[in-house]
Amino acid sequence: DTVEAGTVVRGNDELERNMVRVETVALSKGLPPEVITVLLDLALSLNAGTANCTRVLKFLIPATVVPQEAIVKGVSWLCVGKMPMNAQVLFVRWVLTVFDLIDCKDDLRSIYGFIFSFVTEENLCPFICHLLYLLTMREHVHPYRVRKLLDIQAKMGRQPFLTQLLALYKVFRPDLVTLSLPSRVRTGFKNHNSTWKVALSAVQRKNKGAVLVDQSLSLDVKEKPSSRKRKLHHLAIPPLTSAFDSNSSKKVLRLQELRSFKELLENIHNIELPAQMGSLLGSALALHYLDCVQDESAFLRLNFWLGHSLQEETCGSLFHKPQDVYQSFFLPWFVFVHCSQEGFSSTESFLYKFLSVWDGCLLRPQILDLLSDIPLMPSFSVESRICFFFLCSVIECLNSMLVKWLTWHSVSASEGGLDISLNIMELVRFVGLLASEGLRLESCHVLLLNQTLAFYETVCDMFLKFSLPLIIMPPAGVFYPALFATDSVSVDRLGYIMYRYRKNLTLAKKQEQQREQTFHISRNTYKEFNRNLQAMVNSMWNSWWCVPGSEIEIDKDLIALSKVAEPWCRFDLIHHPALFSYAIEFHQRVSEIFSH
Amino acid sequence: QIFFLLFFWLGVFLFIMEGRGSAVNTPASRPLTRRSKSYGRSCVEAPSYFWQTPGHLTVLKVPTSRGAAKSQLITNKVDPEHIALLVKNEWKLSYVTPLHHFRHTQLKSYSRHLAAFIAAEKQQGVAVEVGLEAGFKVTFTAVLGLAETDEDAETVFIQIQSKPAFAAAADAPKVVWRGWLTCVNGDPEYLRSLPSDFVSLPLFCTSGSESLTTLVKTWLERAFDCNFGSLALNSTTLNWLAALWTGCHPTCNIRHLKLAWSLPTQPPLDVSYTVNPQDAWELWNSIHPEESTDDKIDIKEVQSFINGLETHFFRHFKIYLSAGTLVKVSTALGSAHLDGKIKIGNSDYITTLLTLLTESALLKMPT
Repeated sequence: DTVEAGTVVRGNDELERNMVRVETVALSKGLPPEVITVLLDLALSLNAGTANCTRVLKFLIPATVVPQEAIVKGVSWLCVGKMPMNAQVLFVRWVLTVFDLIDCKDDLRSIYGFIFSFVTEENLCPFICHLLYLLTMREHVHPYRVRKLLDIQAKMGRQPFLTQLLALYKVFRPDLVTLSLPSRVRTGFKNHNSTWKVALSAVQRKNKGAVLVDQSLSLDVKEKPSSRKRKLHHLAIPPLTSAFDSNSSKKVLRLQELRSFKELLENIHNIELPAQMGSLLGSALALHYLDCVQDESAFLRLNFWLGHSLQEETCGSLFHKPQDVYQSFFLPWFVFVHCSQEGFSSTESFLYKFLSVWDGCLLRPQILDLLSDIPLMPSFSVESRICFFFLCSVIECLNSMLVKWLTWHSVSASEGGLDISLNIMELVRFVGLLASEGLRLESCHVLLLNQTLAFYETVCDMFLKFSLPLIIMPPAGVFYPALFATDSVSVDRLGYIMYRYRKNLTLAKKQEQQREQTFHISRNTYKEFNRNLQAMVNSMWNSWWCVPGSEIEIDKDLIALSKVAEPWCRFDLIHHPALFSYAIEFHQRVSEIFSH
Repeated sequence: QIFFLLFFWLGVFLFIMEGRGSAVNTPASRPLTRRSKSYGRSCVEAPSYFWQTPGHLTVLKVPTSRGAAKSQLITNKVDPEHIALLVKNEWKLSYVTPLHHFRHTQLKSYSRHLAAFIAAEKQQGVAVEVGLEAGFKVTFTAVLGLAETDEDAETVFIQIQSKPAFAAAADAPKVVWRGWLTCVNGDPEYLRSLPSDFVSLPLFCTSGSESLTTLVKTWLERAFDCNFGSLALNSTTLNWLAALWTGCHPTCNIRHLKLAWSLPTQPPLDVSYTVNPQDAWELWNSIHPEESTDDKIDIKEVQSFINGLETHFFRHFKIYLSAGTLVKVSTALGSAHLDGKIKIGNSDYITTLLTLLTESALLKMPT
């Protein structure tokens, strides 16, 4: 590596040769940090001449990092004030281009004031503002600086770079400066890295280092365009703003300052809550943070906001909103509620109101997810207009909810947790009612029957699988449609369920008799089971399904009207319509054997 | 629209009164219900076992009986200048959820912030230094003395004056907007259930341009994480006001009892029904005698009162007022409109009115 020292400026051929060599190295491999320091010093001190200053700056491509002392020295040369303006601009632009490669920014931050003083130079102003934007921390925002920027704004007008920097100042110190930024106001910085972009990316690719990202503005200072249009609805997530009376002694970070999830994790104990809790639903990063918040007041604030937004929106009008409202409000809210560990009473009350007018289609997956997460009240009545698939999904949902509850119970009951058996009983009874009603309305549709039986498969094993001593029989409205179903799967499932019930009941009885435990299965449950079992056996084995005095006794004359021959046998193993296909298959097989 | 103006002479009224017997269900015995029925607002009756929202608030009850309106020389408790600010303006009502980190000691700082905020909103994209007085002058004042119980927070009055840039120094700044947040006789259980960093001032009254009202609300929402909604009064509240104000007639001349109904015909029929105050008072007195030792007025008595007025109207015009809605009540003590607009006529009974309004506002709090 060549190093020049104390060479004469003009007409120096050696200087020229060395320059060319350095340039080639720079453009091919990039320059190591020490060389950068020396070269920068050389260029900015104008020791090599003014022309060479810009020339050097133009090929100053770093290979790895840029030491911050180089930059600091550069700024000091800037302060001396002998550099021509285009060189100054070029230097600042260069600093911006290599900003991410500067090893440490602390020294730069400590000379913030010096850098700030250049903001009055009209040519430098845009780039200085950008540099300040990247460097500013809370302690840099002072009233006199704010005033200076406002003076410049008064002179230069609403320049986007000024607005952007002031917006950042507002994030840090909202008690000093405030501004309103609807989306139509332009903000942002000019392009600065055009001179080096190509060469820099080429060198980086060669060195296989991380490619420099464009200094994108992750700080979202723009607010939603609400100023011109009147708010048509209340379902809007507020913008992220900082509280203005925050405790300034602690060093806290605001959510707007975080650029990545990694930063969030590093500073998790240091983050200040925003002024409006509802704004946390606006960004994925903030949602993650919300999960970690333990503050009771914070949740109360969120609950108030959520409850208020939903309350102000009459449920009926929810179906006439433009699509983006669903995307912008409901989806983040559902995602949050579904993923978070806290339930909110406002969610529950909203759901009850919503379900009474819901058509079953709008945002179905999200609503069903929510349903499985919250405890449901039995006052929810089946509306005839609720479509059939919704009913199936609801039962499926409630099934998964039941499994969750049972799992929770089996885990926590041993530790003496809450007794939720009453809740479970309510749920099972409710689903029984729901299913009976649904099956009646839908003429025992196979799919609905399937879901219902799946639910009862969970229910029948509550004692054996989840150690919950609760045995609840399916109601007649579920049992008989399954017994007389026309598909074999339902009949088979019913058989399985009855078998499991028997197992559970026998074990329970045995334990009771041995006085091993403290629960008690009522006699009625046994009676109910026996009755169901009798009905099953009677119809399938004894060819006698219309037992007088049973639940399904039908008048003989009515049956005669059907003109079916031998109606009593119609539901036994041989004649059962569900098992018909097996019967046919049996005959086919037998005839095949005999024909050979 | 057809206006009906009825002025009853005493004699005529008494005659009607005697024939009343069957028309009005005057209860034979005084209903001494001190027990208030609780109308649960929450539809979740049992607390959810798995998740308890932190700070789950108590359910608010709608009271079915309340004390009679008492006159109080409010000027004993409150600065007369402040009272003058509240009286004689028409106020639009809103409710607001509890304010987080609101401090009565920081009112000056809030004034500066709100002024800067309004200035910044008026000139979009231009930053405004907080504290610099330009364009608007905002004052936050604490109106001490309106709060009745220990749980009530002190009322806060906000005033916005405009200072045009080229006004002469001697020009007094013009008041362009006024508003106040208050809580009078709020439900103590509810107020106690809030965590300490919340201040509940559920009633927000505003007077001034809509754009400024929106700006103030936006600023308050951002500063204290609260939420505003418009507060419409319901017929029950208006009925209470009619009865309570009428009951004040002996001590303070209410000059008239004006009631406005809206009947659901095509086109809608507006009825304005003015009752001579003495007659109204006599009707009220027959239902709830002044000498009764029971200081509490029950909702049934209020209903009887209104029924009496409606029946009387029917006798003359064969129109059932009960088919429509009571839209406005006004007396010399003040007026209240169903849309949520009030006027305070007399400062002596201000507490009664504000208590009712605070109650309505608290009932709108999201669970």
